[in-house]
Amino acid sequence: MPVLAEIVETKELLQTVVFAFVAGMGVTVIFSVGIWGVARFVDLNQEDRSVAAAAAAGVAVLALLAVLAAMVIGIVVMTGK
Amino acid sequence: MKTIGIAYRVIGKQRPGIVSRGFKYGQVLSGGMLALAHGTNDAQKTMGIITLALIANGSLGAGADPPFWVIASSAAAIAAGTYSGGWRIIKTTGTRIIKMDAAQGFTSQGAGAAVILASTHFGFPLSTTHVINGGVMGAGAAKRLSAVRWGVAGNIVVAWVLTLPAAAIIGAVTYAVTSLFGSGAVGPILVTVAALGAILAAFVRRAQRGAPVTVQSG
Repeated sequence: MPVLAEIVETKELLQTVVFAFVAGMGVTVIFSVGIWGVARFVDLNQEDRSVAAAAAAGVAVLALLAVLAAMVIGIVVMTGK
Repeated sequence: MKTIGIAYRVIGKQRPGIVSRGFKYGQVLSGGMLALAHGTNDAQKTMGIITLALIANGSLGAGADPPFWVIASSAAAIAAGTYSGGWRIIKTTGTRIIKMDAAQGFTSQGAGAAVILASTHFGFPLSTTHVINGGVMGAGAAKRLSAVRWGVAGNIVVAWVLTLPAAAIIGAVTYAVTSLFGSGAVGPILVTVAALGAILAAFVRRAQRGAPVTVQSG
């Protein structure tokens, strides 16, 4: 077992799993929140609830910006040597 | 699996039209990220093997970077392979494992891109096909276990298991055959010619069977 532990880069493998899990899950959940915001904005706007609609639009914009930021970070950091 | 479950919880009660359109737009982004991730991991393996062979032969010094022709030819080969044979894989991944909706497509592409980019960052080569197929299976199973066509998924898993020993055996046989002709270039040249002949024969056989699968026919 100690030999296996020396051959297998356990720490880096675990980091890969954690990074991938957090990035994959985070981006999808935040994007879903963005879509939720857009859908709520459309509904609330039709009900003439402008303040709540503006809040939903704000959530959507923030979430979509966060997704774009995560993608840029993914490209810059993950592919950086 | 968890990711698509949370995504469904977040958008579950919203209008299906807006949700579906949103995830379709998102798929453009996630598909782009997956394509980038594919490029950061797959061609590099080929470059690494060619560069290692050049170093072992003494054509390059130890620790040398891959020459430009290695980078260009590896990139061209992987692009040509994806272009020529990709539709069969796309058909299996996109339509045969699960009946995929836009949210599942976005989730599996996003998860696949995250896994491949993280692996690239830490220097681990992996199979991008295995990653995305795993993502598709997870996205399908999270909705409903029976949504996954487990027969197709089983075939893919068997292929995963067989890939490693099959590649090892082919590598060993190739080395043994080339060794019969000494340490010169005769052995590798003969094996290369034989391999090219086998590929040509397979291509002709496939062409005789019928038209390849395309986006229109698929």
